[in-house]
Amino acid sequence: MAYIGSAVSGILDAKLVAGKGQYTADVSLPGMGYMAVVRSPYAHARILSIDTGAAQQHPGVRIVATGADIKQWSRPIPHTLNPSAFGGKTTDIYCLAIDRVHYVGTPVAAVVADTRHAATEAANLIEVEYADLPVVIDAERALEPDSPLLYPEWETNELMHVRFQGGDVERAFADADHILDDTLHLHRHTATPLEPRAALAHYDDRAERLTLWVSTQAPHPLRTTLANTLEMDENDIQVIQPQVGGAFGVKIPTYQEDPLACLLSKRTGKPVKWVEERTEHLMAGGHAREQTLKFSVACKADGTVVGLKVRIIGDVGALAAVAGWGMSYVASFVVPGPYKIPNCEVDLSIVVTNKGPWNAYRGFGKEAASFLMDRVMDRVADTVQMDRAAVRLKNFVPKDEFPYVQISGATLDSGDYAKALQDVMDKAGYQSFAEEQQRLHAQGRYIGMGVGFELTPEGGCIPDSFIGGYEGATVRVSPSGQVTVLTGVTSPGSGNETGIAQIVADALGVPLSTVRVVQGDTQACPYGLGNWSSRSLFMGGSASLYAAREVHHKVLRVAASMLKTAPEDLDCEQGRIRVKGQADREVAFNDVAEYVHKRPFDHHAFDMEPGLESTRYFRMGNIHHVPDDKGRINTYPSYPYAACVAVVEVDIETGVVTLLRYVTVHDCGTVINPLLVEGQFQGAVAQGLGGLIYEQLSYDDNGQLQTGTFMDYTLPTAVEVPSVEIHHQEVPSPFTPLGTKGAGESGVSSPFGTIVSAVENALMPFGVKIHDTPLTPQRVWRMIQAAKNGNNGGAKA
Amino acid sequence: MHTTIQLTVNNAPCEATVDTRTLLVDFLRDQLDLTGTHLGCATGNCGACTVVLDGLTVKACTVLAADVAGSAVTTIEGWTQDARQSGDLHPIQDAFVKHHALQCGFCTPGMVLSVQQLLKEKPNPTEAEIRHGIAGNLCRCTGYASIVKAVQEIARMSSE
Ligand code: FES
Ligand code: FES
Repeated sequence: MAYIGSAVSGILDAKLVAGKGQYTADVSLPGMGYMAVVRSPYAHARILSIDTGAAQQHPGVRIVATGADIKQWSRPIPHTLNPSAFGGKTTDIYCLAIDRVHYVGTPVAAVVADTRHAATEAANLIEVEYADLPVVIDAERALEPDSPLLYPEWETNELMHVRFQGGDVERAFADADHILDDTLHLHRHTATPLEPRAALAHYDDRAERLTLWVSTQAPHPLRTTLANTLEMDENDIQVIQPQVGGAFGVKIPTYQEDPLACLLSKRTGKPVKWVEERTEHLMAGGHAREQTLKFSVACKADGTVVGLKVRIIGDVGALAAVAGWGMSYVASFVVPGPYKIPNCEVDLSIVVTNKGPWNAYRGFGKEAASFLMDRVMDRVADTVQMDRAAVRLKNFVPKDEFPYVQISGATLDSGDYAKALQDVMDKAGYQSFAEEQQRLHAQGRYIGMGVGFELTPEGGCIPDSFIGGYEGATVRVSPSGQVTVLTGVTSPGSGNETGIAQIVADALGVPLSTVRVVQGDTQACPYGLGNWSSRSLFMGGSASLYAAREVHHKVLRVAASMLKTAPEDLDCEQGRIRVKGQADREVAFNDVAEYVHKRPFDHHAFDMEPGLESTRYFRMGNIHHVPDDKGRINTYPSYPYAACVAVVEVDIETGVVTLLRYVTVHDCGTVINPLLVEGQFQGAVAQGLGGLIYEQLSYDDNGQLQTGTFMDYTLPTAVEVPSVEIHHQEVPSPFTPLGTKGAGESGVSSPFGTIVSAVENALMPFGVKIHDTPLTPQRVWRMIQAAKNGNNGGAKA
Repeated sequence: MHTTIQLTVNNAPCEATVDTRTLLVDFLRDQLDLTGTHLGCATGNCGACTVVLDGLTVKACTVLAADVAGSAVTTIEGWTQDARQSGDLHPIQDAFVKHHALQCGFCTPGMVLSVQQLLKEKPNPTEAEIRHGIAGNLCRCTGYASIVKAVQEIARMSSE
């Protein structure tokens, strides 16, 4: 165990820090053209006509395409998660809108030209005539019978309705000491990685083969989808994922521009490059989060929660072929999170509106469930006049009850939630904080502390989809002893390649520097589902481990024969294979590798299969898709979690909230590399904080996006994000060979509940109650004013 | 409209014909193949396009290529080349690697150049000065903690 558990730097870092990373936009091909996309300026309209005459004539233009062309040339894009498979509605999504637009930014036409300037100029010459349709941008309004309809054939805007139910909820409510109701609202925001989306498609006419370089998270599923859309054989398509500049879910396929660039390359016989502009990204690159969360909770006077009713309304914007709407489904699947509330029901409506479609964003609905459950616990605590942490401790699933099945079928794998919370309270000085708070309050400062807890189910595995619970890897040793690992998982810049290299180096007993990890090339790598849901290390790493062990076994067999001993008597470390306890009897790993490759007929290697290569697949053992006696299935295999404490200061004159401290105890099972895990967690907290306070996709009543650039969609900078104090609690997963659980996503969910709780605590003198996000200064200031005037119903800004 | 400009890029003289609308960032990337300078927003907010122009960092999406005639531009490629003292990387870059002050690496070249500017102006910055010094460079991955740590270490090393 030389590398597992140690803080090894990222194996790509030295290259990236010198500016040598090659991202999709950095790839160029001779003769390539540039694609520009014409997008709808209306939130809801019928397309009456499109005049492309002037654009066609513009110098340098190679092709102009509209929905009518696309319909002739291609098929609809298969949905990554088809709502109809969940009993929901669906619609066909083509690369361009066919006759109707559903949000500002809907792609309606495309141009390819010799230069970027020519493409943009020609795009501006395309005349689209629209007939306005009434717009609906509010999900609750969209559910009303007289609402405008996005997809009239549905006769409703409800994409899907889901119910989970367990226990005897009515009885629990009848027996309760207190019943509390509240309505929360999470606002719309997005992942927005620093690298925009990008694609370079090259259809080679002679070879009749398509190559797509693309900033994606899932090259293999994308290839399968492209084959379907473009009516090509999968064998004739190669998808290559260059370095990716951040993804966070929002680069899970399939967006319209990817097959669109491929189609236009095929039609022109030349490469086509497309690089998304930030404005396009913020309009049409995948939104998230916007949900209304209503709850009614029944509790005893001692803080025990006996019943919970939840109603979630997910505002998923217009429908696209990406999997974003699934986040609202997962939000309902996770309730009641880490708590033991057997009498529980969740009622979910996923609703379409005339806003940008959702795509995945780190959290994937778990942040909504966390926020909801943290607010539930805080409300209960305040009502029964108990400490907010104490109420959580009272209601956690006890550590000896795992695996624990929630009402949705979510099967919590392992953990010690109470200990995590107690530990983080100790580290943060929870018990002594009130004194400090009093002291500062006397100086006119408003400081608050909050607790929160996030449960982050990982490695989602949805029946009949490419959101699956398995992964593949190949480990190959060359004659010179160099190790190549080819994985089906990919890295969007999250570092799993380093963790996987550590696992393989340890399994083979070789130096880390001899291990090369190859990812994101459908021509080279075993079929795999890519990167999302923190699955890469615990699934891809497990497959890599299995493959490395198999190769290691062969190496030891040959070495044992050479050293005239048994394989069990050998140790392999740093490329030296030694007889245990006898330092002078050894052979080099490299020499064994060379022997196996060059001398398959000599006696040390004669009795085994030649070659030093293995491909293995790993499947999670605790997923079940056959319904249990209550009709439940389990779609998540791994349940990491984090207990958190936040300290904030609120400037009551301006409403500015400053996060002063964020402390966590985090369990992701066995930690392969603390540097990487902590880096991920810190980055996730920054995104949670950004989402809670600084970032908002805001629409006016006509469905116009008002925050379409980084001027007004404000990401947090180094000034706003404090360094998180991260502590590990390692409860190994019983379901992976190394005890790893999902890592990488965690940290994004807890800031919502934890910081909101801290802000309420800081504003206790005014009795402010927070129901809605974001906590922008203006809104916080209004909450303070409203509370001062005796109304703590929350601000509607 | 096109114009011909002469300038110095990464210490070498350079002459090029550019469309007058071309941004410096696009000129560097598309015409000179210096792809270590990245484009994240084109509105001057993210800092991924940071380069050194006549000795000062600038966001290359806020400058027209035609306007830099006669100037000296240094990109991450040239700076890395110049900065090599021993080993392969500049101490700032070494500290970034050691502390894993990058994940996807998209913001990193710009971030490194802003850090060198900061340390030139303030060799011994406080944590608050570090945070303000890099506030013009957004990083969506790291949450900045590891970057701050890396800069603190460089400052400590150079003051020893
Ligand atoms: S690309 Fe220049 S600041 Fe973002
Ligand atoms: S490392 Fe990805 S944006 Fe900074």
